[in-house]
Amino acid sequence: MRFVIRRFLLFVVALLAISVVIFAALRILPGDVASVMAGLNAPPERVAQLRSQMGLDRPLVVQYFSWLGGLLQGNFGTSLLTGRSISSTVAMRASVTFPLIVLGLIVALAIGLTLGVVSTLATRPAVRSAFHFIAIVGGAIPALWGGLLLILLFGRGTGLLDVLPSQGFPEAGWGNFGSALASLVLPALTVGIIDGASLMRYTRSALGDVMNSGYMDQAMACGYTRRQAALKVGLRLATPQLVSVVGLMSAGMITGVMVIENLFALPGIGAGLVTDLGNRDLIAVQSELFMLAAFFLFVGFLVDLLHRFLDPRLKHAVQGGVQ
Amino acid sequence: MTKSKSSSKFSIVLRLIWRRGEGKFALIVLASWVVVSLVSLVWTPQSLWATDGYHVWAKPSVAHWLGTDGTGADVFSWLMAGARTNLFIAILAVVFAGALGILLMSAMVSRNSALSNVSVVAVDALISIPTVLIALILAVPMGASVAVVIIACGIGYGLNLARIARPQALLAANSDYVGSALSYGASGFSVMLHHILPNAMPTIMVQLSLSAGTAVLAESGLTYLGFGVPSGVPSWGHSLATSVKFINVYPLTVLWPGLIVTIVVVALNVFGDVLRDAIDPVTNPELRRS
Repeated sequence: MRFVIRRFLLFVVALLAISVVIFAALRILPGDVASVMAGLNAPPERVAQLRSQMGLDRPLVVQYFSWLGGLLQGNFGTSLLTGRSISSTVAMRASVTFPLIVLGLIVALAIGLTLGVVSTLATRPAVRSAFHFIAIVGGAIPALWGGLLLILLFGRGTGLLDVLPSQGFPEAGWGNFGSALASLVLPALTVGIIDGASLMRYTRSALGDVMNSGYMDQAMACGYTRRQAALKVGLRLATPQLVSVVGLMSAGMITGVMVIENLFALPGIGAGLVTDLGNRDLIAVQSELFMLAAFFLFVGFLVDLLHRFLDPRLKHAVQGGVQ
Repeated sequence: MTKSKSSSKFSIVLRLIWRRGEGKFALIVLASWVVVSLVSLVWTPQSLWATDGYHVWAKPSVAHWLGTDGTGADVFSWLMAGARTNLFIAILAVVFAGALGILLMSAMVSRNSALSNVSVVAVDALISIPTVLIALILAVPMGASVAVVIIACGIGYGLNLARIARPQALLAANSDYVGSALSYGASGFSVMLHHILPNAMPTIMVQLSLSAGTAVLAESGLTYLGFGVPSGVPSWGHSLATSVKFINVYPLTVLWPGLIVTIVVVALNVFGDVLRDAIDPVTNPELRRS
């Protein structure tokens, strides 16, 4: 319990620290937020009007705390361009991004765990090096290029097989479930295949470590075959380590997702953030960056708790430290 | 051997890497990368700024080995010139990540418990922030620039490095020989330099080699998003991003930059793997003798 409280406090402190960093990044702009938002040729009156409208004429400390106070109450501000509340825009975008991340994760797990286990159990050198090759090359493909290749293979209109949509998301969103899902297939495959290759390497190394341990000898002494021992004992022992990897991977997926959303013209969080930054809608950018950072820090927090929970050996380990 | 100790160790490691098939592949690719980067400074088949309005999206020919892009610029020349930008980014990102990582690692295993606690906690908390988010935060005040890629990668990979190298460093820090060095009055700095760092160095070098690969990948992603290398500066990400818009019409042009990035990243990853085996003194008796 002490661990949970300490880890939670750490989460809160990190959250505050990142909010200061994001706030500062937007304030050390050449000029100020108002003049950047107003554009290059805006008359000074317009800039001044924007500045007071956004409360930028107040002292920095006041600005920071009023922003933070808003965040705590769930008020993320309103976009100056669209006039809509930022939280509703982000919620709409998240309805594209989160399904994409979940689908990508499913693909990655299916590929990474299966191939990782199979390649650990493979005994023939040729098979082992074939899997090694897949893992290395799969992890080296740029997300953008991987997506392009899939479009060229399967994309509707352009692809050799001409089966799946490769651009956009249905107007009706998830109201049109079939076509919404179809438009996420290629993006999810792209994200999933690349992360699946790195998950495969982690699975192999985590399982490989366990395979050489005394636990395996014990299991096989009790009559398990090597394969049974690996699947029933080895995977369970490797689980805590894999959960950490998968947790951080799902957060890190946003990197690939940002590129992929732009490539496939999906109106998700990543693509939206890029658009807002391009439109210099800086208040929106500030809140969106914070929301993303908070999400990642929270995933990190959950992963550490889960890791602890899944590995009973750690409960008796020395307090503090990660392992 | 008349060579100094460190250079002979270096040549032994190189020879051990070369001895393996995949090590040969990695060394050849990486050496070509450096050579092409240097050559591109003085010569490219066509000038980067020579645009040929009559031969837009041309097929590969004697004049344009990989064809031309939408402005009639030579694809091959831009890829050659892109090599040097990516090399520059990869090297600086790795140097930055190495410096930050070693600094954080030293803080994490420091005898000053306040310092070590704070740094462990800070690294743990920040590790889950992905590189692209750091790049975005930097890009707000800095705009698209090579520096954004380098700093973002440096911070992200530096945190990772510190976390990965910490167990090795901790093992050395708690060892008897460090204890005895301290009892002789060695300073914390000298112990770090002469005992802990050499122990963690293999892990650090392997991790940095992998990070160089990730930096090349990050460049292509960030440049495509508009936060990386600014337009007009040649880079593989730039070549990839410009060909994307016309993928429906000219799918072949898009193959080359992606293929080059993949090959180079594979080479860096393989190099890291082979290096891990080659610098292990337990499995390589030659290293112990030197």
